[in-house]
Amino acid sequence: MIHSLFLINSSGDIFLEKHWKSVVSRSVCDYFFEAQERATEAENVPPVIPTPHHYLLSVYRHKIFFVAVIQTEVPPLFVIEFLHRVVDTFQDYFGVCSEPVIKDNVVVVYEVLEEMLDNGFPLATESNILKELIKPPTILRTVVNTITGSTNVGDQLPTGQLSVVPWRRTGVKYTNNEAYFDVIEEIDAIIDKSGSTITAEIQGVIDACVKLTGMPDLTLSFMNPRLLDDVSFHPCVRFKRWESERILSFIPPDGNFRLLSYHVSAQNLVAIPVYVKHSISFRGSNSLGRFEITVGPKQTMGKTIEGVTVLSQMPRGVLNMSLTPSQGTHTFDPVTKMLSWDVGKINPQKLPSLKGTMSLQAGASKPDENPTINLQFKIQQLAISGLKVNRLDMYGEKYKPFKGIKYMTKAGKFQVRT
Amino acid sequence: MPYLGSEDVVKELKKALCNPHIQADRLRYRNVIQRVIRHMTQGLDMSGVFMEMVKASATVDIVQKKLVYLYMCTYAPLKPDLALLAINTLCKDCSDPNPMVRGLALRSMCSLRMPGVQEYTQQPILNGLRDKASYVRRVAVLGCAKMHNLHGDSEVDGALVHELYSLLRDQDPIVVVNCLRSLEEILKHEGGVVINKPIAHHLLNRMSKLDQWGQAEVLTFLLRYQPRSEEELFDILNLLDSFLKSSSPGVVIGATKLFLILAKKFPHVQTDVLMRVKGPLLAACSSESRELCFVALCHVRQILHSLPGHFSSHYKKFFCSYWEPHYIKLQKVEVLCELVNDENVQQVLEELRGYCTDVSVDFAQAAIFAIGGIARTYTDQCVQILTELLGLQQEHITTVVVQTFRDLVWLCPQCTEAVCQALPGCEENIQDSEGKQALIWLLGVHGEKIPNAPYVLEDFVENVKSETFPAVKMELLTALLRLFLSRPAECQDVLGRLLHYCIEEEKDMAVRDRGLFYYRLLLLGIDEVKRILCSPKSDPSLGLLEDQPERPVNSWASDFNTLVPVYGRARWATIFKHQGTEHCGPELPHSAPFATSGHLISEENKERAQELPDSEALMLIPNCQLTAEYFEKTWLSLEVAHQQVLPWQGEVHPSTLQMALQVVNIQTIALSRVGARPWKAYLGAQDASGCLFLAELLLEPENSEMQISVKQSEKRTETLTRFFSVLETVIGTVGDMKS
Repeated sequence: MIHSLFLINSSGDIFLEKHWKSVVSRSVCDYFFEAQERATEAENVPPVIPTPHHYLLSVYRHKIFFVAVIQTEVPPLFVIEFLHRVVDTFQDYFGVCSEPVIKDNVVVVYEVLEEMLDNGFPLATESNILKELIKPPTILRTVVNTITGSTNVGDQLPTGQLSVVPWRRTGVKYTNNEAYFDVIEEIDAIIDKSGSTITAEIQGVIDACVKLTGMPDLTLSFMNPRLLDDVSFHPCVRFKRWESERILSFIPPDGNFRLLSYHVSAQNLVAIPVYVKHSISFRGSNSLGRFEITVGPKQTMGKTIEGVTVLSQMPRGVLNMSLTPSQGTHTFDPVTKMLSWDVGKINPQKLPSLKGTMSLQAGASKPDENPTINLQFKIQQLAISGLKVNRLDMYGEKYKPFKGIKYMTKAGKFQVRT
Repeated sequence: MPYLGSEDVVKELKKALCNPHIQADRLRYRNVIQRVIRHMTQGLDMSGVFMEMVKASATVDIVQKKLVYLYMCTYAPLKPDLALLAINTLCKDCSDPNPMVRGLALRSMCSLRMPGVQEYTQQPILNGLRDKASYVRRVAVLGCAKMHNLHGDSEVDGALVHELYSLLRDQDPIVVVNCLRSLEEILKHEGGVVINKPIAHHLLNRMSKLDQWGQAEVLTFLLRYQPRSEEELFDILNLLDSFLKSSSPGVVIGATKLFLILAKKFPHVQTDVLMRVKGPLLAACSSESRELCFVALCHVRQILHSLPGHFSSHYKKFFCSYWEPHYIKLQKVEVLCELVNDENVQQVLEELRGYCTDVSVDFAQAAIFAIGGIARTYTDQCVQILTELLGLQQEHITTVVVQTFRDLVWLCPQCTEAVCQALPGCEENIQDSEGKQALIWLLGVHGEKIPNAPYVLEDFVENVKSETFPAVKMELLTALLRLFLSRPAECQDVLGRLLHYCIEEEKDMAVRDRGLFYYRLLLLGIDEVKRILCSPKSDPSLGLLEDQPERPVNSWASDFNTLVPVYGRARWATIFKHQGTEHCGPELPHSAPFATSGHLISEENKERAQELPDSEALMLIPNCQLTAEYFEKTWLSLEVAHQQVLPWQGEVHPSTLQMALQVVNIQTIALSRVGARPWKAYLGAQDASGCLFLAELLLEPENSEMQISVKQSEKRTETLTRFFSVLETVIGTVGDMKS
């Protein structure tokens, strides 16, 4: 299925290659380089490139292209998902997934790839099983290994592979039994000039960290399950039960996993927690423009908005900006024309603002004169959709577990047009 | 890979590997081996130390073994004789008590890819298939396929195949999936693994135990199974229902495809399935992964071909956000085009209007072409937006707007007035060949409605010497000559100058020939020029009507979840080629609007003209006005000259038919209303010689055919057959669009 994998950085160097069947010459990547050259920016390289004898499917993450070489017609989603899984695994192993880190850990990377695919087919892709096959490098372990001469490779086969429940290993034991659930919601929105919403939707996930002894059987119910438009589950969730009773019933995997992801879209009205007031004008005197933006809270149910960052790509005609923020720090890169303002917390009594002037190139006005503002923010202890967990029960085991639920709302692709 | 200095590195590593001191120190030894691997992964040729590495394989250290095996798998094909030395160690490891070591050794042995290895691997593989550790069985099963690939021509081992089929019942889900993968490769020449009823049912029952990759693949394998009865079919569909809600988009799309294929005789089930995956598909379209988004969008477009309006209520999901990569934005714009309906047209157009001034030239132009596409249905609003865009006086915008206008005037003649009013002033902002050609064409064809047309063309003639594109010069010649026919006084002088230039000074032979041809044509007199230049239009618009047919789900179901929706066969190549160059509106056939003067224009148009020789030779008068009374009188007085029956399915859409007929200059006299039984239509047309053609279309409710009777005022079989073939083409086209 996947013939070979090439890792290519944004300047077009192949820094790692792995072949699962016969060796495919590096020259196949020339087609990719051609496409890379044609695309002005790395993001714009198309993910599927047909060549006379192969297809090149790529994903671009952490400034690295993961290019899979395919020789036969395949389901494209399958390959793309798999490549993302590879990246996720690296990230899980090394904390960050970057070119230097991969180069430093090339041997572990090779071992992991060898276990993830055999003859081009996915083999072991669950991160907890992989970690039992090949231990991730840590500073402590490197030190210990150097002293004792022991290795990064597990000596035993992961027990999870022999369990009746494929996603949970048998004989799990903990002294503290705990189950934590994080409800995390991201708002994707486009807000127009006048502040009204063009599109808005919420993408939510429930991530769990379950450390429970034995074979617990959990049920989780919501106060308002009808909110969830479109849900997809971890394989452990009993689908029939959800269909009939709107209850999540499952034997959880051990450790961290994503229990479900859901969407709340246009049908249910999406509350927008922030607003941006802006007045940007490019028609000042002496080729000076005026710039002013203010950020304020809107529907936050009394919670504080934190970690606010404003990013905006200014038009090419802007030479420089001299701005003063009422709080936080800002930078403007005159080369890339990128304005970024790290706001921090929003205090509703004293709204943060950024104002000043722009020096413009003398001459014709550009049609792209209205920059788009990209917003990042976080709200703790709030699921903006209003989703609430009602109760969590455990069956099948005798002990009393510790249960915890956290809510958080973040900005996804949140943009304001001006 | 030849690499400067790699020889030194090899020499140094070789020395280190041979050093007994290093060999004695496990850690240092392993470090040297790691360095070898590191160089290997960067593409350096490390085959020089093969001998030393083989020696290093005899160790109890698993990591070291793993590294050495990795190395051997890469270089064994280059050093087959030396690799044989390692076989012994590998064979021994295959019976190690630790299952990890057994699996590792077996996997490496099967990956050696050198001739002659087969005789050593046979036994270990057979042992591996019966190993008690599932890890080893997984490796052994795939090992069978690897060995078979290595000896592509060798006969299929019946016993082995049998063994693999029986392993389909294995406890371990990955062993099961690997068996399928392995059998598929081994039995490639016999059409792959056979999925019969027991296997299919077994797989269906195991589905929920598989990981997402296994599920996706089993879903593909199940496509081969044909359920015996309707009951079984629906049982299967019920079992698979939950996979439509899987968290992996790959599984969702895979399940959708299986549903579509299995239910190919039940269109309502297909529609129902597509309704149900709407949510997951839309979720994938706004996924965090750009690549997933892209592929999902491609599939959305595929679905829209059969169910236009399927996603209409979610049109806002396809609005582009500023930070998205190009390939997603371009897909979204195309999807938006297909979602337009009466309710959302205003919002969609406003949104597209915003994209037209995007920083990226490609994207802006794609948005303008998209507005042009929508203009076929919502002409007035779109023309207004396009006209406003001209006001921006941006070169890249103006050129595309003018091209869009050219296509529009061709398709929707009713907007000619508005376009002609918008044109003056554009010429200052057009520099590229495509745009100039479009503008000149418009000035030539509709010059009588644009007051300053001759003067704009005159400017072009003034600068003809510095003009680099021959295509522009050709267009200029034709346009000027055409305008000369309607406004002779203003054009004569300029035309003379241009002809003089083309004949005396022009280097390009095609342009010179064209100039000479027109010159000689003018010598024959103005009537002859008119006859050649203003001959009726051949009709590429029929082709355009054809390009958005609603296709039945079954026509693309087998392409679903493959790469076809992504690069769309030939289409992908076009998109790809045009990216970053001139324009990105692949769905508009730019050659079409030039075809007015038949053979005179360019190579590609010549081909077009030849495709439609009938309408070319037969000249039907554009605006023949037959009254109903006159028609009735003539109809009754004439004999039926020709009668034929054409296949026809379902209802008739009078407006489509009428429009299509109008395009080829056939007038519709009277029509039954929709759904009337029997359904009738009366048509009339007149050719240049004044001969009348009258036709009756008759659709009987019970048989799926359309009966056509044609009457002719003067008996001429030649023109009759031509007229009939034109009619047949139109009916065929309209019929295709519906089914």
